[in-house]
Amino acid sequence: MVEFKDVSVTYSSGVDALNKVNLRINDGDFAFVVGASGAGKSTLIKLVLKEIDATSGTVLVNGFNLRKLRRRKIPKLRRTIGVVFQDFRLIPTMTVYENVAFVLRVIDAPAKYIRSRVPYVISLVGLSDKAKAYPTELSGGEQQRVALARALVNDPKLIIADEPTGNIDPALSYEIVELLKGINECGTTILMVTHEHDLVRYFGGRIININKGSIAFDEVVEGSNESK
Amino acid sequence: MKVSSFRYLVNQGVKGIWKNRMMTFASFCILLVSLLMVGIAVLLEMNLTKIISGIENKSEVVVVIKDGTSQADIDKLEQDLKAAVNINSVSFYSKDAAWKNMMKDMTEEEKDLFDYADDNPLPDTFKVTVKDIKRMGETTTQIETFANVDSTQSPTELADFLISIRRVLTIVGFAVIMALVIVSLVIISNTTRASVFSRRKEINIMKYVGATNSFIRIPFFVEGMIVGIVAAVAALLLTKFSYEGVYNVFNNDFGLWKVLGVQNLYKFGDLYLYVALAYIGAGAIIGAIGTSISTGKHLKV
Repeated sequence: MVEFKDVSVTYSSGVDALNKVNLRINDGDFAFVVGASGAGKSTLIKLVLKEIDATSGTVLVNGFNLRKLRRRKIPKLRRTIGVVFQDFRLIPTMTVYENVAFVLRVIDAPAKYIRSRVPYVISLVGLSDKAKAYPTELSGGEQQRVALARALVNDPKLIIADEPTGNIDPALSYEIVELLKGINECGTTILMVTHEHDLVRYFGGRIININKGSIAFDEVVEGSNESK
Repeated sequence: MKVSSFRYLVNQGVKGIWKNRMMTFASFCILLVSLLMVGIAVLLEMNLTKIISGIENKSEVVVVIKDGTSQADIDKLEQDLKAAVNINSVSFYSKDAAWKNMMKDMTEEEKDLFDYADDNPLPDTFKVTVKDIKRMGETTTQIETFANVDSTQSPTELADFLISIRRVLTIVGFAVIMALVIVSLVIISNTTRASVFSRRKEINIMKYVGATNSFIRIPFFVEGMIVGIVAAVAALLLTKFSYEGVYNVFNNDFGLWKVLGVQNLYKFGDLYLYVALAYIGAGAIIGAIGTSISTGKHLKV
């Protein structure tokens, strides 16, 4: 669960990135966060990951009050969140298997569990035959699926997808969102930041529109695929 | 942290050496050159100091015994000399030995000149070496007060010269070594920083998936330490071969240098353990700590 209570962020440059934002994303929700560049979408994600602190207000993520969370406890928070970035951010010196397994090694998971869980998750994103490949040997869509597998392997409560379709073929974008939808159906909360309105219109669901640091729109909209 | 996780991280460190071989090679070269520069400077300073000590030890005070002194008085003088302060060694050099020695070095024509001498004109002497060359003048004055001492001859000017050389050598040697250490540390720190900077994205990703700082640092630490040790071993071998080469040249080919006490140079075998420990210790510590400090900057995500 993610909750923002009167959250404002003012950067040292004086820019007001968020202005008294109130938002609640319940466990199991799937929400699109949309908005123009500079509207405050990235700031919202940085707050959830505790990359930055709110200037005022309270941010609660998966039971952690981020205002009170100490620096050395940040890894604990991040282990409850899976993140998918626009630029994939895979470790180039590790194979697909190693990239996905790395998350489990970080949490000291037993070797036996890693050996069974990682191939399973890689198969979920359809890359079993590429497990030994390095990121540079994969297409953009495949790299994003690896990033998705990495976000998923730890069975996180929340997955944040920051423009996950921004760097891939438009046709593959639907596939990525379908995968996220499938993960959501298993109970994981998904927060997907995007500016691809076609995709949002197609899938529908909860849409949060941020404009100039405030929530301009937060409603559930029926998708065009559902109306077909 | 579980043993298996620790093993994984160490393994990652070892693998990192090959995966980042270009930066690893750069770090290796910089560490190697730095260790060599400082190591050779220290060895040079040690040997120069030892050569000067050798020359100092050879500086003798010649104590001329009055002609006609009885054997009992000569023995008494020897006891007095040995008991005096700052005396390292006392050896008797009889007039007969001095005569034979002088004759040995003479040409036939020179020997002819002495055919007319009915008696050996040379005196009995004691050759005395001192412990502290700085106090040679004071010691000579004291010896002159002893009974049956006719005169003394001491190389006080040479002693003063050696003292100044030693002082200059100590100051210059220390300054050069410190300068080399500082320059090396600056270069090494820049290289490790560049090496870690090239992998900052990797560190960033690790932070996003919830890795703790120590989890990220351990592979870098292991990697830096191994590179440091390998550079140290290479530096040790290069130092050994170059040192032994120079040692042999000085010892075998420059007979003149022996006069100056070059035979006092340290043999590499005597220093091997200390050089190895210093190189490996410095290499491992600089490699490991340098890399993990440089990593720290990128952990604040």
